[in-house]
Amino acid sequence: MLHAFAKYRQSFLIGLQSNLVYRMNFAVRGFFSLFHLAVVFILWGAAYSHNESIGGFSFGQTLTYFLVMLVMQFFVGAFNEDYQISEEIRSGLINQFILKPINYFSYRFSIFLAARLVTGALILIPLLVAVPLLKDYLTLPSEAWRYLLLTPAMMLSALIQFSIAYCFGMLTFWFLEIQGFVILSMAIESLLGGQMFPLDLLPAWIFHAAKFLPFYYQTYFPTAILTGRIEFAATIQGFGIQLLWVLVLLAVNQLLWTRGLRRHTAVGG
Amino acid sequence: MTKYFQIWLASARYSITRTLMFRFDFFLWALVELFWMGVNLLLISVIYEHTDSIAGWSKYEMLLLVGTSLLVQRFLMGFFWSSLFEMGRNIKSGAFDFFLAQPGNILFMASTRKLDLDGLCNSLVAMGVVAYAAHRLNLHPSALDLLLYAVMILCGLIIHYSMLVMTISLAFWITSAQGIEGSYFTLAEFSRLPREAFKGIASVLFVWLLPVVVVSNAPAQILLHGFQPVWVLALVAATFAWFGTAVFVFHRGLRRYASASS
Repeated sequence: MLHAFAKYRQSFLIGLQSNLVYRMNFAVRGFFSLFHLAVVFILWGAAYSHNESIGGFSFGQTLTYFLVMLVMQFFVGAFNEDYQISEEIRSGLINQFILKPINYFSYRFSIFLAARLVTGALILIPLLVAVPLLKDYLTLPSEAWRYLLLTPAMMLSALIQFSIAYCFGMLTFWFLEIQGFVILSMAIESLLGGQMFPLDLLPAWIFHAAKFLPFYYQTYFPTAILTGRIEFAATIQGFGIQLLWVLVLLAVNQLLWTRGLRRHTAVGG
Repeated sequence: MTKYFQIWLASARYSITRTLMFRFDFFLWALVELFWMGVNLLLISVIYEHTDSIAGWSKYEMLLLVGTSLLVQRFLMGFFWSSLFEMGRNIKSGAFDFFLAQPGNILFMASTRKLDLDGLCNSLVAMGVVAYAAHRLNLHPSALDLLLYAVMILCGLIIHYSMLVMTISLAFWITSAQGIEGSYFTLAEFSRLPREAFKGIASVLFVWLLPVVVVSNAPAQILLHGFQPVWVLALVAATFAWFGTAVFVFHRGLRRYASASS
């Protein structure tokens, strides 16, 4: 167990170094996310100008929701892990992992964690600009349970995010190009993951159905916990569904890996 | 000029042949773009479930604005996106040498190599959105208004192209432009907002300094309220300014290009 931990600790450290090389890219991305916040502020500010509340929430609460959602994406969201996996399969680099006593999923996951540590730290820089500007609007609930349950919800969200990216990466065993699938899924994720608007503003039946899909648990769930858009009982129920999705996705990952390897011709490398 | 048009036609022929070879890709990408357009339209629909007006714009006026913004973006996707997307990667890998060796304007050669038919097909959907919104608003634009609208869309396309060229040109300065092109989409988000929603510093920055708001608002205003000289002049001036800046930034970046790097 300790031996395995040491192995993936090394890949985590290598991941940390290789992601730090691209710190400028992440920093620029973080900087541009401030523009996204500006769009949110202007659009929702205009929508709230004739309404005290929308969907039962004030302007401040909605703005806080989008800010937390943004931070969540940098801390738990998959960026380009699917492309990296796809590239390793296509170029044959994956062959070395088949021959070595290393679990490819764990190896990639440790690199994913390192990448999120870097992007998570880098989003704090634009936050230093955004938070003082928006401090009059930002409002978080005070219940302690929200802060206690946030970390496990984020960890499970990260697992779901990575597992979905991993699944798309695995598709390279069957399809030469996965970019189309990835961007199609991004559209669905941005909608059903609550990045475009808080999901609770959807018609009740769609919102109810969305709770049973994995996208809900990618970023919306932890964001809703922290910003007070979900109550305690619903949070506990949410954890059950989130855990179930983690297990399902891990099983799908394993299935795609074993099935994919049967098709793999180990060219290159 | 004719030479460049012939080069562009040859690239277009190559792209059409390629699309016919990879039909599944074409359908998949057409679906991808359709979904993204749907997501943007759904956002408007959801907000208007809870309010009647955004900065004085009704639901269908807003739909017309978003449709116009999507139309410009679809043209950008169709005509330039793939080529410029590859440009960023080529700068990193050193494959950009190929364009430097060609006997023609480098920016033209690098920007027009590929056409995306899926983007162009979806521009028809965006036109449909604009037409539907105009129908719901009971608008009857004259032929001149429609012509001006088309010219404004062309100006918008040039501005969006310039913004994307500048974003991708960052690859000359930083190790990799991977993920950077996404920044363009962030800026493009502003073009789906009505001018009246911008106040104070936001108005100065996004309406006057960055042309993102004018790009969609100017053509939409023509359909909604007829010819408005201020909007037209603002957009034409912004087009020249931004295209000139993009060409300048690209050539400054080109000086830093050191062929194959990491």
